[in-house]
Amino acid sequence: MDNDSGFMNRHYFLLRRLHSLSGIVPIGIFLLNHLLTNASIAWGAVNSRGSQHVSAGTIESVGEITARQVGTFQHDVTFINNMPFLILIEVSLWLGIGFHAILGVYYARTGKSNTSRYAYQDNWRYSLQRLTGYIAIFYIFYHVATLRWGWTFLSPTDTPWSHEQAASTFALALKGKVSGISAGGIAVSLFYFIGVTASVYHLANGLWTAAITWGLTVSEAAQRRWGYACAGLGAGLMVLAWSSLIGFLLLDVSSAQKIEHDLHAGHGSMVETEPHAADETQPLAEAR
Amino acid sequence: MSKQAPQQGRTIRFRIKRCDGPGKPSYWQEFDIVPEKNANIISCLKQIAETPVTVQGEKTTPVVWDSGCLEEVCGACTMVINGGVRQSCTGLIDVLAPNNGDTITLEPMSKFPVVRDLWVDRQRLFHNLERVKAWVPIDNTYSLGAGPKESPDSQATHYKLSECMSCGCCLEACPQFNIEEDESKWDESFIGAHAISQARLFNNHETGKQLKDERLEELSGKGGVGDCGNAQNCVKVCPKEIPLTESIAAMGRATTIHAVKSFFSGKK
Ligand code: SF4
Ligand code: SF4
Ligand code: FES
Repeated sequence: MDNDSGFMNRHYFLLRRLHSLSGIVPIGIFLLNHLLTNASIAWGAVNSRGSQHVSAGTIESVGEITARQVGTFQHDVTFINNMPFLILIEVSLWLGIGFHAILGVYYARTGKSNTSRYAYQDNWRYSLQRLTGYIAIFYIFYHVATLRWGWTFLSPTDTPWSHEQAASTFALALKGKVSGISAGGIAVSLFYFIGVTASVYHLANGLWTAAITWGLTVSEAAQRRWGYACAGLGAGLMVLAWSSLIGFLLLDVSSAQKIEHDLHAGHGSMVETEPHAADETQPLAEAR
Repeated sequence: MSKQAPQQGRTIRFRIKRCDGPGKPSYWQEFDIVPEKNANIISCLKQIAETPVTVQGEKTTPVVWDSGCLEEVCGACTMVINGGVRQSCTGLIDVLAPNNGDTITLEPMSKFPVVRDLWVDRQRLFHNLERVKAWVPIDNTYSLGAGPKESPDSQATHYKLSECMSCGCCLEACPQFNIEEDESKWDESFIGAHAISQARLFNNHETGKQLKDERLEELSGKGGVGDCGNAQNCVKVCPKEIPLTESIAAMGRATTIHAVKSFFSGKK
C-alpha cells in the first residue's frame, strides 16, 4: 500500500470530521461575514452615517443613496483591511478552503449519483451538494485570483481590485466597463451569480448533513427541525448574496469613484499607508 | 378513485434483463403472458418458465430468479422492478400492470454480482454484517444463565431494527454503495445502511453491548458510517420501514463519543 492511502486510512475518522468541521470553521463563518460586508453595498442605503465623509458637492452630483452605499461598503472594507494579522487570517482561510476542497473531491468521487432512478428530493440534495462543491472550487479560485492576487488577465477589465476603492474597482471587475456592461462583464456577472448561489447552498446543506454526521440530530423530527433552520439560514444568506450582486450591478462606477476620491481626500488617515497591507495595487485615482 | 378493477384475461409484457452467467454480457428479452388471478412477479416468472418463448417466437431458456419465503421476510427475491428496487414476491401484477398491454421491466440488482438472470450473489451484504459483528456474543462451553433485562423502551426500538431481512434494497438505492467484485476491497468499501443499523441494534442490546467498541472501531474506519453521504435513499426504499437515517445519525453520534473517549482514555 502506498503511503498516501496508508495515511488516509489510519486517520480516516479524524480527516472526515476535520473535513466536516472546516466547512463551518473557518469557511462557513467567513462566508457569513463576507456576505454581510458585501451586502452593505445595498443596505448601506439606510445607513445615514454612510455618507458623512463625502463632500456636499459630490452628494449633490451622485445622490445621497449612492454616497451612503459606497461610503458604508468602503468603511467595512477598510475596517477589515486594518485588522491585525490579516495575512494570517487569510492564509488560514486559504489552507482551510484548500483542505476542504481536496478532501471533498476525494470523497465525492466515492459516490455515484443515481437521481435518474431514485428521484427523491433528498437524493437531489446529495447530488447537488457534490455539484455545488465543484462549482464553488472554480468560483472561489477565480474570485480570489482576480481580486486578491491581481490576476487581471482573467478579468473583463485590466483594472486590478483595490481595497481603497473597493466599490468602484469591484463593480468594474464585475461589469467590465465604466458605463453599462460588456460582454465579458455579462459572463463574469453570471458566473458570480451561479458561484455565490452554489456556495450558499453548499454551506446550508452542509450544515444540515454535518448535524447527522456528528450525531447532533438523530431522530427524524430533529433532522426536520434542523432542516428548517438550515433552510432559513440559507435563504437569509441567499438574500445577502443576491442583494450584493444587484447592488454592484446597479452601481454607477464613475459616481463610486467620485465618492471614494472624497473619502480619501478628506479622511486619508482612514485608509492611508497601512504597514500590513499586502496589496500593492495603487488606487485608481493616484495611478492616473 | 375511479379506477376500475384490473381486467382478467389481459395480456401483459415482461421485459427482462438476462445474463447467462458471471462475467457474461447481459441482454434483454420480452415475454407476453396472461397472468393468473392475483398473480405476483414470481408466479409470472413461473408461467414464463413453463413456456419460455419470447415475443419474437424464439424458444429460450427459463428465466432464473431467487426466492424463499414468498411473504417478504427473507429478502431473497429482491430485484429492480420498473426501475426501482423491491421484493418481487409481493410485487402484485394487478398493481404493477393493471391494463391490457402494460409492460413490467425486471432487472437484477446492480450492486451485487449476477449469478444468472435475476439472481444475484449478496455475499458482500452478509460480509458487512460480519464486519460489525452483528450478533450477541453468547457462545460458551457452559450455560451463562439468564441475560440482563431489556427495558420496554429499548425493546420497542430494537423490534423495529430487528426486522431487517438483509434484502439489499438500501444498498441498491445508495449512491455511496457501489459494486465491488474484488473481495479484498470489501473491508474498505462502504458498509451500507443495513449494517450500520444492525450495529446500532446490537450496541444497544444489553448483552450485545460487550462488542460495542469493536463495532464502533469498524464504523469509524474507512468504509464506515463516515462514508454515508446522507442521500437518504435507503430509508425510502427499505420495505421494512426501518429508520435507517436515524440509525446512521445515532452511529455518527456514537463514533463521535467513541473518538473523544479513546482520545482521553488513551486506550489506543
Ligand atoms: S443516507 Fe447514506 S446509507 Fe442511506 S442511501 Fe444515503 S448515502 Fe446511502
Ligand atoms: S435495512 Fe431494510 S432495505 Fe436494508 S437490507 Fe434491511 S430490510 Fe432490506
Ligand atoms: S421470497 Fe422472501 S422476500 Fe420475497
